[in-house]
This record gives sequence, structure tokens and C-alpha cells, in this order.
Amino acid sequence: MNQTVVSYLSQYEFYDHILALFGNNQGVLAFVIYAVLALVIVGMCATIGGLGTYAERKISADLQARLGPNRVGPYGLLQMLADGVKMMTKEDIMPFSADKALFYLAPLLCLTGVFATLAVLPFSSGFIMADLNVGIFYLVAISSLVGLGVFLGGYASNSKWSMLGGMRGASQIISYEIPVTISILAIVLLSGGMGFGTIVGSQGGLPHQWFMFHNPFAFLAFFVYGVGALAETNRAPFDLPEAESELVSGYHTEYTGMRFGFFALAEYIEVFVVCGVAAALFLGGYNVPGISIDILPMQAVQFVIFMTKTLLLYYVVIWIRWTLPRLRVDQLMSVCWKYLTPMAILNLIGCATWMVVFNGKSIAELILGSH
Amino acid sequence: MISRKNIVAILLGIELILNAAALNFVAYSRYVTNNLDGHIFSLFIIVIAAAEAAVGLAIVIRFFQIKETIHIDEATQLRN
Amino acid sequence: MFIEFLFISSAAVTIACAIGVLVVKNIMHSCVFLLGSLMGIAGLYATLGADFVAVTQIMVYVGGVVILMLFAVMLTGGKDFISRAQNLLGLPPSMGSKWTYGVGLLVGLVFLLTNIQLIKGISQSLPTNEINNGFPSTVTQIGHLLIKEHVLAFEISSVLLLGALVGAAIIARPRKQN
Repeated sequence: MNQTVVSYLSQYEFYDHILALFGNNQGVLAFVIYAVLALVIVGMCATIGGLGTYAERKISADLQARLGPNRVGPYGLLQMLADGVKMMTKEDIMPFSADKALFYLAPLLCLTGVFATLAVLPFSSGFIMADLNVGIFYLVAISSLVGLGVFLGGYASNSKWSMLGGMRGASQIISYEIPVTISILAIVLLSGGMGFGTIVGSQGGLPHQWFMFHNPFAFLAFFVYGVGALAETNRAPFDLPEAESELVSGYHTEYTGMRFGFFALAEYIEVFVVCGVAAALFLGGYNVPGISIDILPMQAVQFVIFMTKTLLLYYVVIWIRWTLPRLRVDQLMSVCWKYLTPMAILNLIGCATWMVVFNGKSIAELILGSH
Repeated sequence: MISRKNIVAILLGIELILNAAALNFVAYSRYVTNNLDGHIFSLFIIVIAAAEAAVGLAIVIRFFQIKETIHIDEATQLRN
Repeated sequence: MFIEFLFISSAAVTIACAIGVLVVKNIMHSCVFLLGSLMGIAGLYATLGADFVAVTQIMVYVGGVVILMLFAVMLTGGKDFISRAQNLLGLPPSMGSKWTYGVGLLVGLVFLLTNIQLIKGISQSLPTNEINNGFPSTVTQIGHLLIKEHVLAFEISSVLLLGALVGAAIIARPRKQN
């Protein structure tokens, strides 16, 4: 059954008061609740994207034994606002022989692909905007719009370097979708459903109840997913399509001002989404260890736990970026096809075998006896 | 009814045709019967369309390697 | 009311983008219009209650086929393609005159109206409730059907996909120039 935020809220009495305000028109009220919550979530994630730029500069400074931005506000916190204002006031140039329609469309595709995935992220047990029964599948499918945006951005700039950067970026994204999707399939096997409510609901709060420690294949699947998702977001050691823009050029060379800001924002929010998915699938999501009362303040606790896990993974992602050297494009492709994909398929087969042989019990349940 | 001479444009049209048929099957399973046979058939149509697009585009690339153009009127011979 | 709004917007997007695929001269723009059309059809699947098929459509077509088409256009220099043949009406001479289009439209209308009359008697609708139930999910049922009743087609399609994979790689591989 597809649960939504609205069906969760309709359990409470204040919902009926608000419904009377709208003349008992449930459709309109549902639409308004979705619109308000969408604005809230998009605003929150855009803020997280901005904070991500600040966090990256501070953490990289820490790793490199320097200070980072500390002039603009207390501890340099307003640096992201300064960067945002700078980006918005830059001149919006378009190359003369570029393809106008696709030039406008490419950053929007990237941003749409990322924001549409926010609708299924499990922030807490009641406030998943739409707990689709095909939740994780929908998320992976919509993320492929980002690859399309990268390709069209490279093409529309009508310069050879941009086109090469765009083609490499798109081929990297579509190649790494395969080990990512197969790792996710292994988790779907373990939980018995594709909806985020099902997946997070079949885990528990304590570490031995997480899917990561369920069986050794799921443990490997976590790392395959992590590496693959980092490569999909053009991040960390896999940022050749972007790094070309630091060295020579890349798919967002010809983009200036807010259009480039769209590409950068899409990347930071996509990293947040990927970390959120990893936290939900492998690390137990929003489950609170121990307590299981279903009252409204519980939702806040679950939200805090989910965000903590996600931001911890975000920190690890930033850490990896500033530690490891960049991979060449042929090394990148060979890592995907020769190492990650066979490992992902092996994990899937291993998880399926484990489910059959041990009747779906995790290692902790086998050792301690099922509680 | 509007014809194009570019082979890739022809493949785009084929994708549209297959999607129309798949939509019909799903609508049938929603409005006429109670089971999900239409969904299954649509899934297989999607799978086959993807496989056919892949092989078709491989043929287009090979054609371009030989003839240096992708105008459909150049495809006149069965060999050489 | 929500469902009707979704249906009309998805249908409008689908038809507009499908017409765009045919009419636009630049083939890259045609591919992007195809993308829009496929997303519109995924929206139509969603209004029909077919959630798994809708998401499969997005995953396979948007994430696979459209990117493949774009790569193929790039690798074959298609964006500089110029169509050569035209008749007096500005159309290619193989697709005909005003009569062709007129009679085609008439036949299409007759067919459509006949279908509506036929379906009217036997159509039924699933129970929907915008807030609490939505549509019942089809994922588990499709899983059961694929493994129990349609298992042969399932296995054959896996062999088909293997054949397509290997075949496409062999046909398009770079040749040694001798």
C-alpha cells in the first residue's frame, strides 16, 4: 500500500479541523499539504547544499592543516551566502553558436532529477512524502535524468572539450548505475519490498539489526554501493568530467553564474540523497534504538537520527575526496566493469543463497538466537 | 505520417509506436479485466524495445562507418 | 480531481512532445522531445495505477534508450544532417498529398469512436481513495505472475537481452583497417 504524508496526518484530530477549513475537499487539501512540504524539503536540501560547500571548504582545510573560511561570519558560516550572492550576480553568458534551447534545459534537467528524488527519502516514519511501493526503484530511475543533463550540457556548449567532457560524464554515470542497482537489489531481497517504509521497517535501531551486518554479502554490498554512488555523482576520486574543468574544460565550462550554480547545487544535493539512501538501506535509517512508541515527538527523534547518519556519511564522502587522487577515465571504466559489477552480482547471488539457507536470519540472530 | 530520412529519426518513431501499444495494454488491464496481464505484456514490450534500440543503433553506427552518412536512401545494397 | 488534472497534463505533454519528435528539424531536439514524450507516458501509466510499469518505463527508456540515441547521434555526426529530397509542398515526395492526411485522419477518428462504443459496456474502475488507499500496489502481484504464469517469456527475454548485448557489441566494434 502506498502511504503518504497526508495519510499519516489524517490520523490526527487537527487534520479534521483543517479539512473543514477547505470545505471538506480532500483533494485540494492533499495538494496543499504536498506543496507546502515540498517547499520545506526543497528549501532544507538547498540549504544543505549550500552548507555542503561551506563544510567542504572547512573539512578540506582541516585535512590540509589550514584554517578555511573564517572571516565572513562566526567561523565563516556566512561564506556560503557570500558565494551564493557572487554566483547570482555574475553575467549570464551564452556562446554564440551554442544550442539555445538545450543550453537552457541541461541544468534544469540535472536539478529536476535530483529534486524529484527528495519525494521518497525516508526522513522519518510519518514524513516520507510519498512512500511508494517502488520507492528505491523510482529513486534510481529518476537519478538517471542527471546523466542526461550532463550530456546535454556538454553538447549544447558547442565546444569540443565540453562535448568530450559531457560524453565521458554521461558514460560514467550510466556505467556505474549497474553495480549500484544490483547492490540495491540485494537489499530488496533481504527486506522483501522496494518501498522505503518496508526496507527501513525491517531493520532495527541497534547496529546488529542493520542490513549492513545482516550477512557478509550485504556488508560488501554497502561498499560496492558506496563506491558506485560516489562515481555516479561525479564526486571524489571519480570527478574526471569536472576536473577537466579545473585543468582544461568540461561539460560545465560555458556555464556561468546561476546556471553553473544549478549544476553545482545539483551535485551537492545528489551527494546528500545518495548518503541518505545508504543510511536508509544499510545503516538502519530512522529507527531509534530501544524505544518504539508512536507519538508525534517520536518523529522528531527519528528525523534527527536519520540526518545524523546521513551527515556522517556526507563527512566521509568529503574526506574521501580530499584524500585520494583522481582516477583516469580508463581506470574508472575498468573499476566499474571489471571489479564492481562482478562483485555486485556475486553479492546478489550470495544474499539470495543466504536467504534460502538460513531462512532470512541475520548473523546476529543466528549467533544470539532470535530475540 | 511525416517521414524523415535520418535513420536515427526512424528509430525514434519506432520507439513511439511501441510505447503507444504498451500504453494500450495497460489501459486494457485497468478498465476491462481484473488481472495484471496487460502490465506483464507492457513490461515485455519495454524490454524488447530496449534490446531492439540497442541493436538498431549498433547497426546505424556500422552503417556510418561504411557509408559516412546516415541518409536512408543510401541503404540500397544488400552487401558491399 | 487530482487524478484528472494529472491525466490531462500527462496526456498533453505526451502528445505535444510526440508531435515535436516528428516536426523538429534538428535531431538532437527530436531526441529531447522523445524524452518528454516517454516521461508523459510514464505519467499516464501512473494515473492508470501501474506503478511498477511506470518506474520501469522511466528507468529503461530515460536512463537507457534516450541516452543511447544521443550517443549514436553524436557518433554518427547526425546533428549536421541535411535532408535532401522535397516535393512542391515542402514534404518529401514519398509521403503524399493533402488527400493522404485527410483520409488518414478520418479513418483514425472512426476507429477511435468505434472503440469507445465497444469498451463502454464492459469498462469498470478500481476503487480509489485519494487520501488513504490510493491505488493498490502492483509490485508483488507482477512478481508472482512473472514467476508462476509467464516464466517462459521471462526466461526467453533474458536470453534475448544477452543476444542483444553481445550482438550490439560485435556489430559496432571498431574494425582494423587493412
